Amino acid sequence: MLEVKNITKEFPGVKALDDVSIQFHTGEIHALMGENGAGKSTLMKIITGIYKPDLGEILLDGKRIEIKNYKDSINYDISMVHQEIQVIPKATVAENIVLDKIEHFKKGLSVDWKKINETASEYLQMVELEVKPTDIIENMTAAQKQLIQIAKALSANAKYILLDEPTSSLTNYEAENLFRIVRKLKEQGCCIIFVSHKIEEVMDLCDCVSVLRDGRSMGTRRMSEITRQDMVKMMIGREENIHHMGFLDVKDEVVLEARHVGKAGMFDDMNLTLRKGEILGLYGLVGSGRTEFARLLAGADPMDTGEVFIGGKKAEIRSMVDAVYKYKLGYVTENRKEEGLILPFSVLDNMTLLTLSDLTNGVGKISEKKAREETEFMIDKFSIKTPEMETVIENLSGGNQQKVSIGKWLLAGCDILIIDEPTVGVDIGAKQQIHEIIWQLARDEGKSIILISSDMTEMITLARRIIVFKDFHINGEITGLNERVYEYGEVSSMLGAAMM
Amino acid sequence: MKGNGTIKKILGRNEIPVLLATILLCIVFSFASSNFLSAYNIYNVTRTAALYMFVALSQTMVMIVGGMNVSLGYTGALCVVACGYCMQELHWGSIPTVIFALLVGMACGLLNGLIITRLHINSFVATLATQFIFKGLVTGISEGFPYTQLQPNFTALGRNKLLGLPLMLFLAVIFLVIVWYMFRFTVLGRKLLATGGNAKAARMAAVNTDNMLLIANIFSGLFAAIAGICAVSMNGAAQPTTGSDWMIYSFAVSVIGGTALAGGVISPVGIFIAGIMIVLIKNGLVMMNANIYYEQTYLGLILLVAVSLGSFSIMAREFKRRRDFIKTQKTE
Repeated sequence: MLEVKNITKEFPGVKALDDVSIQFHTGEIHALMGENGAGKSTLMKIITGIYKPDLGEILLDGKRIEIKNYKDSINYDISMVHQEIQVIPKATVAENIVLDKIEHFKKGLSVDWKKINETASEYLQMVELEVKPTDIIENMTAAQKQLIQIAKALSANAKYILLDEPTSSLTNYEAENLFRIVRKLKEQGCCIIFVSHKIEEVMDLCDCVSVLRDGRSMGTRRMSEITRQDMVKMMIGREENIHHMGFLDVKDEVVLEARHVGKAGMFDDMNLTLRKGEILGLYGLVGSGRTEFARLLAGADPMDTGEVFIGGKKAEIRSMVDAVYKYKLGYVTENRKEEGLILPFSVLDNMTLLTLSDLTNGVGKISEKKAREETEFMIDKFSIKTPEMETVIENLSGGNQQKVSIGKWLLAGCDILIIDEPTVGVDIGAKQQIHEIIWQLARDEGKSIILISSDMTEMITLARRIIVFKDFHINGEITGLNERVYEYGEVSSMLGAAMM
Repeated sequence: MKGNGTIKKILGRNEIPVLLATILLCIVFSFASSNFLSAYNIYNVTRTAALYMFVALSQTMVMIVGGMNVSLGYTGALCVVACGYCMQELHWGSIPTVIFALLVGMACGLLNGLIITRLHINSFVATLATQFIFKGLVTGISEGFPYTQLQPNFTALGRNKLLGLPLMLFLAVIFLVIVWYMFRFTVLGRKLLATGGNAKAARMAAVNTDNMLLIANIFSGLFAAIAGICAVSMNGAAQPTTGSDWMIYSFAVSVIGGTALAGGVISPVGIFIAGIMIVLIKNGLVMMNANIYYEQTYLGLILLVAVSLGSFSIMAREFKRRRDFIKTQKTE
């Protein structure tokens, strides 16, 4: 039994964990749930020795243990599989599996490759992965890399395996396979700590669940004695409500039309229309081509064939510069931290990045006053919570970062917005606010929006027409959502069918 | 209250430790050597410092966009040779010579920029290669000999004074102010910074990042050329060996002055102070009769301390936070 007892951890200005106690038993799959920022990752990092707790202790089979670094945690048979899959891409499968204990694989002064490859294939069999130990990892799928990481944990004799959001980039089929392996490990006496925010998979897979909210433990419950509603309530502290947003005033005017768009190795002959005031959803799995297609429309990547018409006229979009400044088409990227924002810059600098040229006076001097006015306007409009506009954007919460990321395109006067996974890494409260913002942009301001999301609830809440992507082509289209109120279940089964 | 905030802001600036260190050095050296505060020495120190400021600006321009330029010393040398050749062999006047040298520097920068953006080669590798090209040209054209027959007025910049201080220092300050203004108040400056802050995000915000890299490299060449012209003017001759040690100093002054190696941050004030500090150290060691053969070792140690300051303060803050937190928990 691994037990954390009265763990408290404080970061400047925030108590990430507050007196948290949880027991993890072997032979069980134990879910650890909570919203973003609830403290799940911090707790995991404490268990694996990356952070030191300010107060509290960790007990292994009743004995107090001191985990000072990652190596210690491995010595106590604790292993973690990270969400951002950490592999060395240019190395072989076997090397990745044995890397943290490579000193045990020496023959004289050199490394015993034969032994390494034999050991690796043994553990690859345990996770039922059919790759050669000598294969290079680089081009493998996310699911394969995940299993390799689990094999790595097993090869370290791990009894406690922490899986951090393991299914976030897996297809349903791959996830099912992963669950099968996880169940097998449980039978073999491992304890799997399964960190996730997907309630359905947790209910299906786990034996018990511990919920964190705002750094506090909301308790541990057996899966048999808890309902989905209970779990949501534990996570967000109130009832979940999916309410119908209403209908959009979609005009007949087509603002964007893609005809026969193709790109070598990705798409051939993609067609799409977007009407004024519409929210068009692009639904599909991560990696089904939604983002890649959106990037072609936004000029982020060049298309090889086909034409795009904007406002009925043929558009020459050679770059994002053309897209924004000539055609008022903006793209809010899915990758907020790497592509959407310049993290070390202030809110002000991020917000005005697109509109710098409009802020200059006759001699090319940027007016700080104007820049502040613009930023102030957006901060008010979206109720962005920031101490001041000079605050470095890295220090804002995910939701507020996302609002800045959307706001800058509005300042640039964009009428067509492609918004890609707007609520990834955003907590439920901010998620609703962002949904409101997107809805109001379409309904009240007549913006035309293409929404990309793999979150079915989000898709059904906002989109009034949905195009389903699969393997880089359009697999189906769901219309009529703007004509009558559909039940959540009705739309979700239509989406399921369209993905077949 | 407001006044307090302003003072706090000024004291919190990154340049303050370097400034304090510089002042401290001045005090130590002025006690150690009576010649240190002589007008002649001050003139010399500030003049060399001005040269290093241009060299550092050359490096800073590319560091801003997250790159580097190891060829800047030989870019400068090529401009030096250009000056000498134009005046000695072609008998050009000073003005056309200066313009030509500036163009040579910018062309070198353009070449670097084109290699980096069009061939997608890492800036270190690209400029490592071009450094040899420039070096070869310098030796080939000059055959290793200095050009001494300059226009008589060419030394005005490097040898004249204003208010007892070298003209070059004023020129450096003017350029530092221009650079400060550019990065604070112009669209180009902001876009250059954005490119260095996060090139991907800048590209996704419709910044033509390739153009920004190109422009940054041209600026880098331009400042290397200015440094070269200053060197010729100071020395009264165009020495083809000029610039061989510039690369090291360019990094030292920029980094000590607070320009982020990762890009996205610039501090012209920091460059000014760090430029003076580096020269002070060199000069002070000579004055104190230290073994100058070890000069570079001292400089290296100081550079190391300067770049570690950030890490030290983070460690100290973390330590203090934990100690305070545990204290509050115990008293509860």
